[in-house]
Amino acid sequence: MKIGVFICHCGENIGRTVDCARVSKAAGFFPNVVHSVDYKYMCSDPGQNIIKQAIKDLQLDGVVVGSCSPHMHEKTFRKAVADAGVNPFLCEIANLREHVSWVHDDMDVATDKAIDLVRFAVEKVKRNAPLKTIQVPVTKRTLVIGGGISGIQAALDVANAGYEVVLVEKEPSIGGHMSQLSETFPTLDCSQCILTPRMVEVYQHPKIKLLTYSEVEKVEGFIGNFKVTIRKKARKVDDTKCTGCGDCMQKCPIKKKALSEFDENLTTRSAIYVPFPQAVPNIPVIDTEVCTYFKNGKCSMCKKVCGRDAIFFEQEDQMLTEEIGAIIVATGYKLYTIDKKPKNSEIKGYGEYGYGKYKDVIDGLQFERIASASGPTSGEFKRPSDGKEPKKIVFIQCVGSRDESKGFSYCSKICCMYTAKHAMLYKHKVHDGEAYVFYMDIRSGGKMYDEFVRRAIEEDGVKYIRGRVSRIYEENGKYIVKGEDTLAGVPVEIDADMVVLATAMIAQPEASKLAQTIGIPYDKYGYFVEVHPKLRPVESSSGGIFLAGACHSPRDIPDSVAMASAAAAKAMVLFGSDMLEREPTIALVNENLCAGCFYCKKVCAYNAIEVKQIFDRQGNFVKEVAYVNSGLCQGCGTCNATCPSKSIELIGYTDEQIYAEIAALM
Amino acid sequence: MENKNQDPKIVAFVCNWCTYTGADLAGTSRLKYQPNVRMIKLPCTGRIDPVFIIKAFEKGADGVLVSGCHPGDCHYNAGNYHARRRWIMFHKLLDYLGIDESRLHFSWVSASEGKKFVDVVNAFTNKVKAKGPFKKYENINKEFVING
Amino acid sequence: MDDIKTVAKELLTSGKVNAVIGYIRYGNDKRTKPFIAQKPEDVDKFVINNFILNNLAVYLTRKEVSKLGKVAVIAKGCDAKAITALIQENQIKKEDIHVIGINCNGVTKDFDIDFNSENIAGKCLNCDVRTPKLCDSLVGALADIPSGEDLKLKMIRGVEAKNAEERWDYFEDEFNKCIKCYACRQACPLCYCEQCIVDKSIPRWIESSATKRGNFSWNLIRAFHLAGRCIGCNECERACPMDIPLSLLNRKMAMIAKDEFNYDAGTDMNAPTLVGSYDLKDNEDFIE
Repeated sequence: MKIGVFICHCGENIGRTVDCARVSKAAGFFPNVVHSVDYKYMCSDPGQNIIKQAIKDLQLDGVVVGSCSPHMHEKTFRKAVADAGVNPFLCEIANLREHVSWVHDDMDVATDKAIDLVRFAVEKVKRNAPLKTIQVPVTKRTLVIGGGISGIQAALDVANAGYEVVLVEKEPSIGGHMSQLSETFPTLDCSQCILTPRMVEVYQHPKIKLLTYSEVEKVEGFIGNFKVTIRKKARKVDDTKCTGCGDCMQKCPIKKKALSEFDENLTTRSAIYVPFPQAVPNIPVIDTEVCTYFKNGKCSMCKKVCGRDAIFFEQEDQMLTEEIGAIIVATGYKLYTIDKKPKNSEIKGYGEYGYGKYKDVIDGLQFERIASASGPTSGEFKRPSDGKEPKKIVFIQCVGSRDESKGFSYCSKICCMYTAKHAMLYKHKVHDGEAYVFYMDIRSGGKMYDEFVRRAIEEDGVKYIRGRVSRIYEENGKYIVKGEDTLAGVPVEIDADMVVLATAMIAQPEASKLAQTIGIPYDKYGYFVEVHPKLRPVESSSGGIFLAGACHSPRDIPDSVAMASAAAAKAMVLFGSDMLEREPTIALVNENLCAGCFYCKKVCAYNAIEVKQIFDRQGNFVKEVAYVNSGLCQGCGTCNATCPSKSIELIGYTDEQIYAEIAALM
Repeated sequence: MENKNQDPKIVAFVCNWCTYTGADLAGTSRLKYQPNVRMIKLPCTGRIDPVFIIKAFEKGADGVLVSGCHPGDCHYNAGNYHARRRWIMFHKLLDYLGIDESRLHFSWVSASEGKKFVDVVNAFTNKVKAKGPFKKYENINKEFVING
Repeated sequence: MDDIKTVAKELLTSGKVNAVIGYIRYGNDKRTKPFIAQKPEDVDKFVINNFILNNLAVYLTRKEVSKLGKVAVIAKGCDAKAITALIQENQIKKEDIHVIGINCNGVTKDFDIDFNSENIAGKCLNCDVRTPKLCDSLVGALADIPSGEDLKLKMIRGVEAKNAEERWDYFEDEFNKCIKCYACRQACPLCYCEQCIVDKSIPRWIESSATKRGNFSWNLIRAFHLAGRCIGCNECERACPMDIPLSLLNRKMAMIAKDEFNYDAGTDMNAPTLVGSYDLKDNEDFIE
């Protein structure tokens, strides 16, 4: 190899403390170095021309530039080298500015160090291999997981840009939690009224393939080239025949056995059902857990009444595979149930609030259903136990949130606002009613948010008490709420007719499993994690997988929608080019030496290691070895360091190169 | 502050994204530190193989510094967690075999911790300097083994 | 409890396995050697006593054995741990082997000596797997075993009590004896690499020349590569012709694994391996 060394003075930045002439002279004596010069500004056009000219004149096939940090100008110099016809990966940078001249004062010492750094770079470049950037094609289709408001928004944005979308929702209908809400803060517009048109738009969009009652089973591949397996659960109803007339549901003899998920268990539903009247698609499913036919085969009323012969008891789960380029995860949240300590959970629960024991102690979503015009009480305030109008309601905030000892350390962010909304909605309908709110402090940052809370207090007369509730118990048909007013410093006792707990927002219980399926990180709460909290808030660390909505952290509707649009934009950025470029510094397996212990696979954060079977010429199985999927490998080299026999190596940082650097040090 | 002597010799294995960049920041901030450390850049602490450390000592390093991203900050998600687990086993083994623990130093230095980088380098350099040269490992190669 | 010969014969005659790896007598009346029985009548020679020292798991990764198809292997509790570790590391598949566990009453330190409290192998003292955890059939009956002094543990404590300088000198002297015959590697069921790092020449991470430095680095890297993997069968130490107390390294590493991660190698074939997994709460007191 013929190596040229080029030492940059960086004006005086390097030259002031490093004797550049001495460095270039010393480098001239290093083995394989045939040319060594220094120049005032190597990154300038004349400087780059010096490199290019030397490559041409002396047929150099390796270049070392002693200059600023490689993070600064490595690209510049590699491009210059490439322009002169040498592979850009045969150019190495010695960092003489940030790591030498700017941090040392003594010229001799700095110059000696600079010579050392140039020597390592020379030793490394000798062992560099010419590499080619990896090009991978992009499938311009997006998978959106979750059909709540975030998923709907993301799907519509991507589809409206002209790209195909596959939207997967695990429930029988899209709509998510937003479809359960009565009215939304701070404008008090009807949730369903603004959401339903969007749901219909999704259903009718020519670019959106909607798969409800379906779940993502497996994700293979990598950015731009995912292969996704989706389980389409058996509805037991043929969706190509069903017209959604609803006759089956009317005639279903089972009316009381199943609790309505949509009404948060406040009402019951039939065994064959759609979650709510505006469901999209309006095609029922059979709950095989409660359906008599699936228990003992004795009923088939729905089949008899169906004019379209759409009931299909024998239907089984179907597996679909989709070719996908980008994935947007929008799986949303759940409310934490606080009645008792859940199994396998570190959370202690709030047994003292009597949730689950007292029918009139309910959570926020249950209150939404009661307040909703389409809910079990048609929007009239009636308490679940006896249907009487509650005259005194106590709202308790931060149940499970900001409570490390019993719940979660984080703030659920939306409860201050929706509690104010709840109290307000109640006061608007029950004018002589009293609403009390126990709070820790009010967090109402957001456009028109604080004004909204003030309105609840000042105009609607909601009484806010700063303090925690210690206990709730029943006495003479009233719920005695015992707490403390920490501002007044006195104990408080309220005899309420109903209590509403603003319970913590938590990640979907299956979120961590999904994260493992698709290969993205999640935090200790099960929320998905972004690459960078400030600058890349909607990207997961796996290329091509983006996050939207409350699956990332507690957030309200506008925030979720904004995040969904951002995620959609990120997917479209990916689709802006036909080919993806990837750094060629990835791992490579020596199949001869690999003993197939798969420690590399264990430490790979990207699922980039696959199992490859080796056969001899007669077709007999010989052994299993590791195989690197070049699309997934990100080049961290953890596999390389873990491999006991060094049978997997990171190109660009091979053992040989690092050995040479260590040897050159001494 | 600076010493002209190139001893002690210290090798640093650092990750590209945090510590190397942190050292860049020290430079950009014109913070001065002792010149004994020679840095080898790797993509991730996960790439740092214990054989690198053995080889550095064999070749006569008086101290070895290993540094990368803080837990949770790894550019590659989990490289530093895997590295940490290896280090736990490895540094205890070296200690047991009689390689003074103070000659091998592990640290987390993020891209924004230019000052910490300087402090780590200075403190470690002083510590190794106080210990004196470590030539045992290097020199035993001159002694051939005679058996039977 | 079934007798080893009955079990082995049944496995061979029924065609459930193609071979059974066991022990037969060799030389004088005490010594045994490994034997691969491929015919039912071969198993008549099988013995089980206090002199079945070899860890037969070592053969399972050998190409000559894997070629035989499904095999049965006789395993003491410690040997079964090695088999567990090999399954964890994808070297063998559980369905390809039949483990004939034996209720183990301890083995001797070496052949040609009587089995008694003086000569019981160190690993058998305080053994918690006298009935193997992983086995498909179980033979033999447990009996009382002699107790003895755990000399190796005493030696480890002795080394720990030394200062760094003394420890270095101690190990330098011990490793000095090494003749790089690699018998330790050969005897180890978990040394199955196609090419050992010490044989890798580009780059030459571990010097293979007969210098003290090469010896030191070899023994150091061997201990590290077995960290969290060594199941403590101690075959390396028994195989060492120069009597280097290798268990001082392996056992110390196992103790660290236990202390730091509560990890016992070879106890659960579905458990994540020590290296290769991590915990967010791993100790980092030593990291600044």
